[in-house]
Amino acid sequence: MAKVLVADDSETILLLMQRRLEMAGHEVETATDGQEVTDLFQRGGANGQPDVLLLDAMMPRKSGIDALRELRAAGIETPALIVSAHQDPGDADAATDVEISGYITKPIDFDRLLETIAALTAQ
Amino acid sequence: MSPSLANRLRIGFAIGFAVLTAMAVIGVGRFIQQRQDFEDAIARSYQVEMAARVQIAEGLDTPLARATVSSQIKRRSELQDDISDDTRDTAILVAAGLIAGLTGALLLFSGLIASLRRPLEDLVDAAGRLAGGDLGTRVEVGGLSETATLGAAFNEMAGQLEKDAAEREQLDRLKDEFVLTASHELRSPLTSVQGFAELLMLERDNLTGKQLETVEIILDNCRHLSRLLNDLLDLARSDAGRLALRREPTELAPLIDDAVRTMRAQTESANQTLTERLDPHLPSVYVEPDRVRQILINLLTNAHEYSPERASVVVSARVVGPEVEIAVTDNGPGIPESQLERIFERFTRGDAGLTQRVGGTGLGLAISKSLVELHGGTIEAVSTVGQGSSFRFRLPVADPAAAAPRPSPTAAEQS
Repeated sequence: MAKVLVADDSETILLLMQRRLEMAGHEVETATDGQEVTDLFQRGGANGQPDVLLLDAMMPRKSGIDALRELRAAGIETPALIVSAHQDPGDADAATDVEISGYITKPIDFDRLLETIAALTAQ
Repeated sequence: MSPSLANRLRIGFAIGFAVLTAMAVIGVGRFIQQRQDFEDAIARSYQVEMAARVQIAEGLDTPLARATVSSQIKRRSELQDDISDDTRDTAILVAAGLIAGLTGALLLFSGLIASLRRPLEDLVDAAGRLAGGDLGTRVEVGGLSETATLGAAFNEMAGQLEKDAAEREQLDRLKDEFVLTASHELRSPLTSVQGFAELLMLERDNLTGKQLETVEIILDNCRHLSRLLNDLLDLARSDAGRLALRREPTELAPLIDDAVRTMRAQTESANQTLTERLDPHLPSVYVEPDRVRQILINLLTNAHEYSPERASVVVSARVVGPEVEIAVTDNGPGIPESQLERIFERFTRGDAGLTQRVGGTGLGLAISKSLVELHGGTIEAVSTVGQGSSFRFRLPVADPAAAAPRPSPTAAEQS
């Protein structure tokens, strides 16, 4: 099972993600914005490096996409999924200039999300 | 200041009237003078003749007196001729004056009409352009002050129209932005509600029957809300011109198969038959596959939801010129004429009748129409009450030459 770092500015969504992913057997670490994500990587991570990042596209202080851009610039290639309320990656918070492994739209289809995480960590 | 039409007319009339009056006064004056002179001369002639006749009567019958009488008779005859000529000359003079005055008036009027015509034609042209939607249209009307005023009024009206249109556009943009933002903002709380309800469902073994039913209702409504949000978002994006299509040459048959497979469970649960009748030689169409699937699912869902148990639903596709026509036809209750007219409007729903399946958002057909039109196609609904309904839409083929095979140019040259 995988170590998943989930970042979202909504405590409710974080709790939901944590419960659902833990029920599927994953180990979950949470962050409430992009800054916390990059800080975690700088400190080497409390529980070691995560296998998958699950980042909300829009968060205060630092967005998931900005955080990911910094991680990629630092040579960190951890697979990342961007979660967005936007239906279409072509909309406002497009992540076109940074490499992502997938785009998850709200409301979240958890069965598909779990399949995607399994596929990413099986490699 | 441009001269006014009224002033020009006033000046024109004054000059014309003065000329005509002068001609009349001169003519009548001359006529009276000539008549006076004539009568004086006649009277004098009679006096001379009478004096001569008196001499003759008194016995002084001289050749001179006789000559005087005959010469006076002749003179009066000449005077008569002269006065006739003079009267005729005066009449000719007055007539000539009248004709000159009238001709002048005519010239004045035609000049005025000409100076009105050009600005009026400009205004008519501009009004046509304005009506055609070119709200930036303005006129430059000079000439008479009346036409200049009319031109200024026209420009003011056009300016107001342009301003109104800009405000309406601004309002439309705000509305679109609002719907886009609202449908995004509602997604996070919906995610939580749906996600936690799903968590409960994962523990269904620990739930009572009633609790399970409650959670199912929550989930049903979450899915409905989610569909509604997606539909609203699609419409708002389409209105705002932000619904971009990712078009590619697409085979229709697999797409239709896929939509039919998706719908199969629902139609079977209502004992409805769902069949495909596709032209075996369908050319590929130039569309975004997901959007065409969305249209098909919308139409199939309607056919399923509005038709009774054991109804039949048919999806057919055939080539029509440079397009492929896809039709979803059912033998359900049909749609009355009054509802059919407004069927593609938002939140218009047919009468559900006896079926209890109708669970759509009321936006499906409006979105389908938007999507078909974005592809450059058309959609129509035909229905007969009691016999069923058919929704048909047309999509452009990817390579029109392949759809309607014509003799190639070389073949045409050879023949």
